[in-house]
Amino acid sequence: MNSKTRTFEKIYMGIIFLFMYAPIVTLIVLSFNKSKSRAKWGGFTFQWYLSLVRDSEVLNALANTLIIALIATVVSTIIGTAASVALMGMKRRTRSLVMGVTNIPMINADIVTGISLMLLFKVLHFEAGFVTVLIAHITFDIPYVMLSVLPRMKTISPSVYEAALDLGAKPLFAFRKTILPDLMPSVISGALMAFTMSIDDFIITYFTKGSGFDTLSTKIYSEVKRGIRPEIYALSAIIFVVVLILLLVSNRIKAGAGKRVKKSLSARGERIKNIALAAGVVAFSALIVVMALVYGGVFSKKSTQVFVYNFGEYIDPDVITMFEEETGIEVVYDEFESNEIMYAKIASDGAAYDVMCPSDYMIAKMISQDMLMKLDKSALPNAVEYIGGQYYNSAKAFDPENEYAVPYCWGTVGILYNKKMVQEPVTSWDILWDDRYSGEILMQDSIRDAFMVALMRRGYSMNSTDPGEINSAAEDLIEQAPLVQAYVIDQVRDKMIGNEAALGVIYSGEAIYTKRENPDLEYVVPDEGSNVWIDGWVISRDAVNVDNALAWIDFMCRPEIALKNFEYITYSTPNIAAQELIEDDDIRNSSVAFPDNETLERCDTFISLGEEADRLYNEAWKRVKSAN
Amino acid sequence: MFKDPKRAHALASPYFVWALIFILVPLGMILWYGFTDDAGAVTIRNAAAIAQPEHLKALLLAIELAVISTVICFLLAYPLGMILAKNKMSSQGIITTIFILPMWMNFLLRTFSWMTLLENHGVINGFLEKFHLPTVHVINTPSAIVIGMVYNFLPFMIMPIYNSLAKIDNNVINAARDLGANAVQTFLRVTLPLTVPGIISGVTMVFIPALTTFAISTMLGGSKILLIGNVIEQEFTLTYDWHLGSGLSVVLMIFIVINMIVQALSEKNDEL
Repeated sequence: MNSKTRTFEKIYMGIIFLFMYAPIVTLIVLSFNKSKSRAKWGGFTFQWYLSLVRDSEVLNALANTLIIALIATVVSTIIGTAASVALMGMKRRTRSLVMGVTNIPMINADIVTGISLMLLFKVLHFEAGFVTVLIAHITFDIPYVMLSVLPRMKTISPSVYEAALDLGAKPLFAFRKTILPDLMPSVISGALMAFTMSIDDFIITYFTKGSGFDTLSTKIYSEVKRGIRPEIYALSAIIFVVVLILLLVSNRIKAGAGKRVKKSLSARGERIKNIALAAGVVAFSALIVVMALVYGGVFSKKSTQVFVYNFGEYIDPDVITMFEEETGIEVVYDEFESNEIMYAKIASDGAAYDVMCPSDYMIAKMISQDMLMKLDKSALPNAVEYIGGQYYNSAKAFDPENEYAVPYCWGTVGILYNKKMVQEPVTSWDILWDDRYSGEILMQDSIRDAFMVALMRRGYSMNSTDPGEINSAAEDLIEQAPLVQAYVIDQVRDKMIGNEAALGVIYSGEAIYTKRENPDLEYVVPDEGSNVWIDGWVISRDAVNVDNALAWIDFMCRPEIALKNFEYITYSTPNIAAQELIEDDDIRNSSVAFPDNETLERCDTFISLGEEADRLYNEAWKRVKSAN
Repeated sequence: MFKDPKRAHALASPYFVWALIFILVPLGMILWYGFTDDAGAVTIRNAAAIAQPEHLKALLLAIELAVISTVICFLLAYPLGMILAKNKMSSQGIITTIFILPMWMNFLLRTFSWMTLLENHGVINGFLEKFHLPTVHVINTPSAIVIGMVYNFLPFMIMPIYNSLAKIDNNVINAARDLGANAVQTFLRVTLPLTVPGIISGVTMVFIPALTTFAISTMLGGSKILLIGNVIEQEFTLTYDWHLGSGLSVVLMIFIVINMIVQALSEKNDEL
């Protein structure tokens, strides 16, 4: 072969290799990044590897992922291998029919498979969670096993097996001694494939999982919209290195065994290979089981629990641990990205959360649909004492008697802009329609917030139910769409920190954090007015652990806990005692964290609009989103 | 083998039961939801909704991007498969190591990482700037989604193509050359036709997930490029219209039907 082609081949393989591994190198680099924002290199650190050990949420998700993958692999390998062997004894027509069905989960779009199983579980009143995800994984794993085993099975001659039977061997014994050794490599490669697919699956798990249950995939997806916590980078770097070592070692052993086969021409090499593989599998399984026992959510259920459903990145994780340690109640903590997604989850039977933290208008909607429970104030002394009266007053807009909700955070919505990119003063929502900033604008990817901007800009109420007004707001948003770089939720943060955009619609709580990371950023509430919102703790009408839920809410209202949360999430706290505890004068007196009355007078609160208006908004939003 | 049909059926029965309950019945559920409304009355409105402009647009765009991604995957994977198959020194173990390994890093993380790479002030543009080259604007465009698709699904194209190339007996190639065919003719008339099954399986494994993804388009398209997968996902998680979501999914099930027809046809060819 001439050296020119050789070089070309090497370069070609190098490019593909670079393409495959560039993102992985990026992730590993990010795992050592001191800054929590992926958009900024803050220096080298090992801290995420250390805090990973204490991050029970991530470790739980990891344990779940591994347990599901392991059980699903074992079950699907047994069922699939048995079926492949049996199929050989069947008529050709039956076989092709069965293969047609087997192919369905592979050919079918994942989203359709996931949805079809979700519908089945719902109709059967199966509670979504560990078992439903496991069933789903077994279902899509079986085809991988069969497609690996069946072709091999076709090449195996039955005569040795039949000879063994003639010589008096029992069928099972004969199978084990004559067919299984030949079949084993394909069984193992099928099982490995199944395991890999199971580990990597997101879509099917996403649709079949219930509340409080997450695999790594679904955990990561819920974090994607707001920036992934660095511990996850650290974890994947570890997984990557471990798997790399395992694969290299097993390759070494296989290669060694292969050579021996050639030398001795005996079955010994083959046997060594199988033993080595089996040992590898056993060792890895043991590791998984240990992990599961130490961190697993599956076996180590504490006797009493509370199911909490909160916005993403909306609590200091230490607070959860403190609560668990003090009360002995296990917290099953889940996060959502938007009120609408939370509502969809709660409204389906599958999700059983005790205590949630939705926003004002969503609380009103849930009250009107009788989804919430009146709170027993005698169990909430901290809430009564420390939450400011003015906040309870504002909360009357959506909870007239203050019976259902305890305010947790509040703030405004405004424009975050980069002073280096926007020289003029920002005073109006109009600037988001200015084509000089085309491609530099980040809009909120949530229906009410996006429409609030358009409605306020036109001087309409943000709670408009008038079809004409909604329509013209939608027209404006469609007109704006070509200028918008992306519709995002908490990603506004990282993108603004990384100078990716000039202007972004954001919640006031993020302003303090982003300014700290990038001093060029400034936050304003436009003159036309904006949304002032309150998120509050509420208890589901169907809550099972009511006492624990009340204990949770009251714990959140302790001044030192509220302060700890404020310092972590930088969203304004309605806790008067906590406000006084803030040490940093700039923040205690910050007009961003605690806007003055003049600003607040321009602002309005969302109220629930009713089903008919919700439908109008949903349809209009779909038109906006498909306008590009 | 296992000429005793009773034993064979007993051995296969766990699978039959499983396939019936968890493959066939759920598909029936989708059909049932897709062709009824809230009141339980039969309707074709949900499936017909695919013709609405915003749905149709999402479907057509998804098809377009999926076709582009599949073609790129094929063009990248085939030469690679040939290089790998030619240099037998690379044992199959190494191949799997290289291309399966990334799959152990979560699919979403890998895609997310492309965001950091592709952003306007991201890693790639950082490099370009350093060498005073013009920067590229890809993030939040369809191109970024295509990159994400190609990246995620390329291994599914490489595997089957490599396998079918590696299976070709060198003697067949040599025979063609001995009989006077040049390299191009050998490739077109011998190598390529022999790898058609691998190509078909690779194309299926890339095209379908690309067509129906919603995660890749959300992350790399900035949520402003809606594919059919996004539309369906939102019907279930946001607007909460399960009937409409199922109706639109029914449209995607057409690929099962196509595959079954292809399967049936190839069975027939086998029998000849």
